[in-house]
Amino acid sequence: MSVMPLLVVCSILVAGGFLLAFLVATKRGQYDDLGTPAVRMLFDDNPTNIEQEKKIK
Amino acid sequence: MFVRSTSQSNVPHPFISSESTLTHCVHCGEECQETRVSPEALPFCCAGCMSVYEILRSSGMCEYYDLDQAAGVSQRGPRRERLLYDVLDDPETAARYTDYSDGQITRVRLLIPGMHCTSCVWLLEQLQRLDPGIVSSRVDLLRKTVQVEFNIAETNLKKIVILLSSVGYEPLLGQEGRQRGLQEQRVKATRSLYLRLGLAGFAAGNAMMIGLATYVAGSNGLGPALSFMFAALSIGLCVPVYFYAAAPWLTSAISSIRNRSINLDVPVALGITTLFVRSIIEIATAGGEGFLDSFAGLVFFLLIGKLFQQRSFDAVSFDRSVRSYFPLSVRRESRGSIDVIPIDALRAGDMMFVRNGEIVPSDSVLMSEIGYVDYSFVTGESVPVECTSGSMLYAGGKVVGGALRLTATRPASQSYLASLWEQTASRTPRSSYLNFSDQFGRWFTVGTISVALVAAIFWMPDVHSSLNVFTAVLIIACPCALTLAAPITYGTAMGALGKIGIYIKNIGVLRELQRVTTVVFDKTGTVTTSTNDVSFEGRALTKHEEDAIRAVAAHSTHPISRSIAQRASPVGVVDHVVEEVGQGITGRYFCLEVAIGSALFIQRITSQDINSVDGTYVAIGGRIVGRYVIRSHVRDGMKAMVEAIRKQGLETILLSGDTGRDAEVLADMFEPAKMKFHSTPQEKVNRIEQLQRKKSHVLMVGDGLNDVSAMAMANVSIAVTTDTSTLAPASDLVLTSARLVDLPALLTYSNTLNRLIWATLLCTMVYNVAGLTLAVSGILTPVSTAILMPASSLLVIGISVFGAKVLSRRIS
Repeated sequence: MSVMPLLVVCSILVAGGFLLAFLVATKRGQYDDLGTPAVRMLFDDNPTNIEQEKKIK
Repeated sequence: MFVRSTSQSNVPHPFISSESTLTHCVHCGEECQETRVSPEALPFCCAGCMSVYEILRSSGMCEYYDLDQAAGVSQRGPRRERLLYDVLDDPETAARYTDYSDGQITRVRLLIPGMHCTSCVWLLEQLQRLDPGIVSSRVDLLRKTVQVEFNIAETNLKKIVILLSSVGYEPLLGQEGRQRGLQEQRVKATRSLYLRLGLAGFAAGNAMMIGLATYVAGSNGLGPALSFMFAALSIGLCVPVYFYAAAPWLTSAISSIRNRSINLDVPVALGITTLFVRSIIEIATAGGEGFLDSFAGLVFFLLIGKLFQQRSFDAVSFDRSVRSYFPLSVRRESRGSIDVIPIDALRAGDMMFVRNGEIVPSDSVLMSEIGYVDYSFVTGESVPVECTSGSMLYAGGKVVGGALRLTATRPASQSYLASLWEQTASRTPRSSYLNFSDQFGRWFTVGTISVALVAAIFWMPDVHSSLNVFTAVLIIACPCALTLAAPITYGTAMGALGKIGIYIKNIGVLRELQRVTTVVFDKTGTVTTSTNDVSFEGRALTKHEEDAIRAVAAHSTHPISRSIAQRASPVGVVDHVVEEVGQGITGRYFCLEVAIGSALFIQRITSQDINSVDGTYVAIGGRIVGRYVIRSHVRDGMKAMVEAIRKQGLETILLSGDTGRDAEVLADMFEPAKMKFHSTPQEKVNRIEQLQRKKSHVLMVGDGLNDVSAMAMANVSIAVTTDTSTLAPASDLVLTSARLVDLPALLTYSNTLNRLIWATLLCTMVYNVAGLTLAVSGILTPVSTAILMPASSLLVIGISVFGAKVLSRRIS
C-alpha cells in the first residue's frame, strides 16, 4: 500500500498537465469559434482551387 | 473590375437543372416573380442576384452553388450607393474596423449579418481570389464576422466593403465601435467560461476518485497518513473551484443581496457555500469525508448549463442600436459642390440631399417643393406623408419618390428617433429574467431557509445535530433540482428554437411567456406586411383601359401612382401629361383621356360629384370609372393564428398607428372593440399600462421598429422581422415573419416546459430526500451514495435536455 501516495501524486500530476494544456489552449483562443471549423472541413481542394492558390503564391 | 473569361466552362449542377425548381432564383432560392434569365438560361429573381452570379461565374467560383442549394442572400430592394462608402476612406472611420495594422498588412473585422451557411463560409474565405490585395479572410459563422487581412499597398477597406456588397454580403457598418467591443466581450466571456469549466471538471473527476477510495475503504479506514493526504488533496482541488469556478454565482448573489433583492443565484450560492464550508469543517474536525466530490460535480454541471445558455446567446445579437438602421453617410451640399460626409459630421444648418429609399438622418426642413416621406418606421402609419416646401421632416422617415433637398435643424445624434430610442434604453433595465429569478428565488430561498431553521430549532439543545440537520436540508433542497432543471431546460429550448428561426434573449422569457394573458398585436409589419395591395373598385375595365391607367400613373412620382403603375409594363406612349403635384395627373394614351387623382381633383375635372374622399379616383374620357383603394396585405395564416391564441383563453388586441382603412380586412380576426387605430407610440404605451393595471400580463408583438416603447412596457415582447440580422433592442424574442404562425405553438411550448421543470423538481426532490434518508439511517453503503448523488444530477440533465428537445419538435 505504500506505493499509493506515489501513484496518487503521479496521477494528479499527469491530469494536471492535461488541465494546464487545456487552459493554455483556451487562453490562446482555441475554443473561440466552435462552429466554423466544422463547416470549413466540408470544402474540397478541387483542382481549380489549388491552381488558383498557386497563382497567388 | 471583373473580366468575364470565356475559357471557363461551368457544368450546371443538379439543382440548377432540375425541372421543378426552375421558377426559383438560382442565387437566393426565392420564387421568381418577374424572371430574369442569364445567358446560361438560368432563372434569377432580380438583377442583383444575377450580377452576383456573374461575378462568381467569371472568377470560376460556381462551387458556391454546389455546397448549399440557393445559398445566396436575396438582392432585391434598393442597394446602397457606392458613393456612400467614400466615408471609409476617412482614416478615423476606417480605424474603427481595424484590429491590427503594421503599415503593410492591415486586419479588419466586419460584421456580415447575411452569412448563414456552408457556401457563405466558403465564399467569404476565398476573397483573395476576387481581390489579389487580400491576403486572407477568416469567418466566424457563429458571431457572423469575417476577419480580412489585406495589403494596404494593393487594396483598401472601401474596396473590400464594395467587393463584399457586390457578392451579396453587405457588411453592417452602422455603429462599429460598440459592435467590436461587444465581440471582444463575448469572446472573453466564452473563454472564461471554458477556463472555469476545465478547472471544475478536473477537480470534480479527481475529487470523485478520492471520494470513491474513501467510501470503499469504509469503516476500516485508510490509515492516518493516507486519509490526511486525501483530505488535503481534495481540499486543495476544491478551493479553486469555490473561489474561481463558482465565482459567477457567488458574486451575483452578493451583489443582489446588496441591492436588497434576491435572485435565483442566491439559493445556488447558498447551496454551494453550505456544501463547501460544511465539508471543510467536517474534514478538519471530525475526520469525516465531507461532500467535496458532490460539490465539485455540482459546480461542473452548473457550468455546463451556463455554457448551453452562452452558446445560444452567442448566436444572436440583440444589442444592435437603432443607428445601424441609420445611413452611414450623407450627401452634403456646400459652396455649390456635393460631398459625402460621415453622419456624425452633420451639423445643424447643413444642406443635404436624400434620395429615394434613403432615411432622413436628422430632423430637417424641406427645401424642395414637394416630397413624400414614409414614417412607418417611426409611427407605424404606412401611407407616405406629403410634405411641401418649408415643412419639417423628422429623422427616421424614409424618402419615397424623388430626391429631396433638406436643411438639417439638428445634428444627427440628437434627433427625434435617437431620443425615442434612448428614452427606452435609459429606463431601468426591464429584464424578465430578473423578474423570474426574483420571484422564483425569493420564495424558494425563504422556503428552504425556514424549513432548515424549523428543523434546526427542533434539534436545538443538541447544537451539533441541529447544525447537521440545518445544512443537510440546504444540501437536499439546493443542488441539482432547482439550479440545474430550469437553466438547462430553458437553455436547451433556446437552442432548439434558435434552429427554427425563433430567437430568445434569455431563459426567463420562456417562463414569462407562460404567464401571458393578453396578446397585443401591432398591425404594419406584423399582422400585415409593410407593402400594400392596391385594389380597384368600380366598373370592369378593358385590358386597353387598364394599360392606359398604368401608363399614365407611371408618369407620376406619387407613391400611390407608383403602386398602381408597378403591376405591369404597358407598351405605348403617353402624351399631354399634366401633373398637379400632390393632387393628380392627366394624360392621353392611344386616344384615351385618363385622369387619376384625389376625389377633389377628379371632381373638378369631370364635374361629377363624389361622396367619399377616400381612395384615388380614375376618370377615363371625362367619366369616373372607379377608384383605387390601398389595403394592407395580411400575412398568410394570420387568421388561424389569432383564433388559436384566442382558443387558449387569451385576449387578443390590435393597436395600430395606421388609419382605420384596414378595419374591414381585419374584422374577421379581431373584435371591433379590440381594434384601435391612429394610436401614437405614447398611446400604445398607455394602453398597455392600463391593461397591466387590470392585472393582465401583456405580450406585445410588433416589428420592433416603431413600437419600441410599447414593447419595453409590455411584460414580454416579440419582434417580427423579415431579416433576423436587424434585431430590435427592446424585444425579448425575435421571430422571422414566416414563424409568426407558430406563435400559439410557442405559447403552448412554454407552458409545457414549465410543467416539465416542475415534474423534474418533484422527481429529484423525492430522489434526494429518499437517498439522504436512507444514507443517514445507514441502509445505503457510502459507495452507493457516491454513485447516486452525481447520478441525480445526470438524471436532471437528461430529463431536461431530452424533454425540451422532444417538445420543441411539436412547433415545427
